[in-house]
Amino acid sequence: MTKKETRARKYLNVTIVTHLEGKDMPVNFKYKKRHDREKPMALDVLLQAQETKLPELAFRYGCRARNCGVCTIDINGLPRIACRSVVRENDKLKAMSTLPVITDLVVRRDQISRQLRGKIYRNSGGNDLNVDASEDYHELTSCIECYACLHNCPMHEKNSIDPSESNERYEYGNPFSLLKLQTIVMDPVSSNSQKSDAITQAVNLGLDTCLNCPGCKCGIGIDLKGKVVNPLISALKKIADE
Amino acid sequence: MQISLVWKQYDVLVVGSGGAGSNAAETASEMGASVLVVAKDPLSASDTKISEGIATVRASGSEDDTEDTLSENLQLAGGDLPDANITSAFARDSQTAYDKVRANGLRPKISAITKNPDPLPLPMGGHTKRRSIGHKNSGVAFGHANWNSIVKDAKIDYKEDCWLVDIITENNKDHSKSIIGALIYDAQRGELLAVVCASIVVASGGLSTIYFPKTDTMRGNTGDSYAIAARAGAELVDMEQIQFLPFCLTSPPAFEGLLGGEPVTASYLGVLRDKNKKVILDGVYLRTRAECSAAIMKAVEDGRGTKNGGAYLDMTANKRAPKSGVYFMNFLKGSLPSAYNNVRQAMSKSEAQCEDLWEVRPSAHYMMGGIRVDENCSSIGGSKGLKNDGILGLFAAGQAMGGLFGANRLGSTSLTEGAVFGQRAGKNAANHARNISGMNPLNKKLFMEKAKKINSLIGQKGHLHASRIKLSVQRKCWENLGPIRDEARLNKTKLFISKTRKKLKNVKISNSTKWNQGLIEYLELENMIDTAELMAIAALERKGSLGGHVRADCRNISLFSKPYSTIVRFVNNGVNVTRLPRKQTEFKKLIKFKFEEQKKFLGAKILRLMPMILKDRVLEKRYKKIMNIQKASITVQPGSVEAAFGDRKIL
Repeated sequence: MTKKETRARKYLNVTIVTHLEGKDMPVNFKYKKRHDREKPMALDVLLQAQETKLPELAFRYGCRARNCGVCTIDINGLPRIACRSVVRENDKLKAMSTLPVITDLVVRRDQISRQLRGKIYRNSGGNDLNVDASEDYHELTSCIECYACLHNCPMHEKNSIDPSESNERYEYGNPFSLLKLQTIVMDPVSSNSQKSDAITQAVNLGLDTCLNCPGCKCGIGIDLKGKVVNPLISALKKIADE
Repeated sequence: MQISLVWKQYDVLVVGSGGAGSNAAETASEMGASVLVVAKDPLSASDTKISEGIATVRASGSEDDTEDTLSENLQLAGGDLPDANITSAFARDSQTAYDKVRANGLRPKISAITKNPDPLPLPMGGHTKRRSIGHKNSGVAFGHANWNSIVKDAKIDYKEDCWLVDIITENNKDHSKSIIGALIYDAQRGELLAVVCASIVVASGGLSTIYFPKTDTMRGNTGDSYAIAARAGAELVDMEQIQFLPFCLTSPPAFEGLLGGEPVTASYLGVLRDKNKKVILDGVYLRTRAECSAAIMKAVEDGRGTKNGGAYLDMTANKRAPKSGVYFMNFLKGSLPSAYNNVRQAMSKSEAQCEDLWEVRPSAHYMMGGIRVDENCSSIGGSKGLKNDGILGLFAAGQAMGGLFGANRLGSTSLTEGAVFGQRAGKNAANHARNISGMNPLNKKLFMEKAKKINSLIGQKGHLHASRIKLSVQRKCWENLGPIRDEARLNKTKLFISKTRKKLKNVKISNSTKWNQGLIEYLELENMIDTAELMAIAALERKGSLGGHVRADCRNISLFSKPYSTIVRFVNNGVNVTRLPRKQTEFKKLIKFKFEEQKKFLGAKILRLMPMILKDRVLEKRYKKIMNIQKASITVQPGSVEAAFGDRKIL
């Protein structure tokens, strides 16, 4: 084995793009493998970088088990859940491109949830709770809110990514917000008015954008096109026909 | 550079947006209070969201499940340390609190027979009744409901990416203290928030991050709840009682500390072995987590530990049984799907199939002690009969509070804890705020002094990094304050903490105001140190093993000895510790409990030593019994093994 090959088995070269006050700064980082065959996850790389070369590196993470949905970053330009994404030689780790970066790999997220403030589960109460929900309902509530679905979403792209100080919520929606609204439509406990309200909200967020869109991609494999977008569009068409 | 100070005024400030925080915020808002929720992590990203998603709902399995029965189960499991008023409140409210979460979109499976949510077919360990309800998508389903409860009405203000620095109090004429607000670092906007409010609900979770390894609990569990309450002068209870999950993975690194199984999933024939394959604990499925953890750590201490400092969990006998083996695998996969998923990804095929031994090691998981409160979640203090010197306006709920679980937590209770006491805290916080007239304007200076202190940290010069010191705290806490303790170790912890405290002034913090990671690490490190110190003092006070607290240098504390809780609080130059006597369960009930326990262990041993043919037959019957109960309540795809086992948690 050549010297180079031996080194390759011990180290992994990655680029971590740090960010401070509006400026990106790529840093080359040599990840030291803990054993020859280790295939480190992106989060392992970030943690080791923080322990060694970049002690003040900022990134989000939570459960390390793909449940909490907060550690999403871009790897080579595509959104990935850092705790369960294997890193390869020369990979580039960077903050998600679809949300405003605060520092390093940390993005601001709450302008997404704010667009649904006051628009979901209003007046819920008094309904019979003892009704079984369908499999589709449960598929929707498996969403971990990782926001990988914002990538290449033409509806989300209509927003200016950096929200202004006065406007803390995005005007246009995204697959996640539509999923939350479709959850209400699928919820057996929702009243008819709550359901049609949810569809109206989806329209207000820019559902028409979805008509010409090939579909969205979920970070954990929910069928967003089939279970969220198409049902909302056909519900809308049904209302329009009536 | 200076971080600017922004003033806000609310009736109720809720710290944390998980199960307890969201329930508190919703309830307080419904009571008419103005509410601000602040959290370090994104909305509802909490231990609730990543939990197994099983909740205790009294009387969901049978009508004879009275409030007393549930309350007694908690008392006995907790070694008589729990506060009877708090366990009663838990039993009283579990149904209504659960329904409130359901109103926000949590949809359990409804039984075709009872037309109500269907609990798991067998009582979980320590419960004498079936009352644990599992949910599709585990905790994530709760996460959605909690998210909805904060977002839905647009009445609750919330801010993510906010680190609470300190609670601010004023002294009353009678020497008691009242909440007047809190200072918060809003990392997202790069501001310091001075929130003036009469009530604060601390619902910012546990402390497992002071250890490594820990389970998949959230990174943010840096003991913030306990540290901020204690610094404000609150008393904490049972701080030595932390739950370690015994069967966590040891490798590869990305999976280190994550859950592999629980005592019940070791099933009828699972045993623990040391590195020489000698049995160190049998009847594992009947044991408490603390017993399993202690057995593993004692083997490690005697030099009989495995390569990665653990022991072997041997379930091969379950698998080998010709008839019942198949049932066992289904049972294992179905009972804790997320844990089995970890195993499948991290271990070899033969290990995942239970044909080989699992290398396991305990990990920090859940804090049973916490802020001392009454059944209304209101901070209390002092010994019985004396004046209550809790902090007026301070409330705690969820993992932050103490007094519900004492020395051991029963499975499936923590999600209900978050809902029940979140709602109680929200209600009482709103009521308290209503009766308080505004803050004395002179006290504005208390906020400004704190803000000045934070600003003096910005740009602090030094050669140390808080993120690295945190790692050394995690290692030392694991070694000396972990699943196995003795006086020498605990004294080492104390010494280590005082040394680490001195390092704080040499920690380098950058100049930036927005998301200053160095400052964030510093604030969390401070909370970790404070919490570890309080725990070490409580652990020194309890000179004997009880529940989650295992002292290698002392004997077990008998169930029959007089129970007491430890109480710790910060005083001028250190930590004050006292004992609070607790009421003992009736002697008759204790004897019965002990007798039943011994009978079960004997039964398990006999079963293990039976010849395979007999054993297999008995086990097949048992697994089938579990399955049959399930069939009765399942409506989808009847007859398929998947419907019966696949997605459901059995125990």
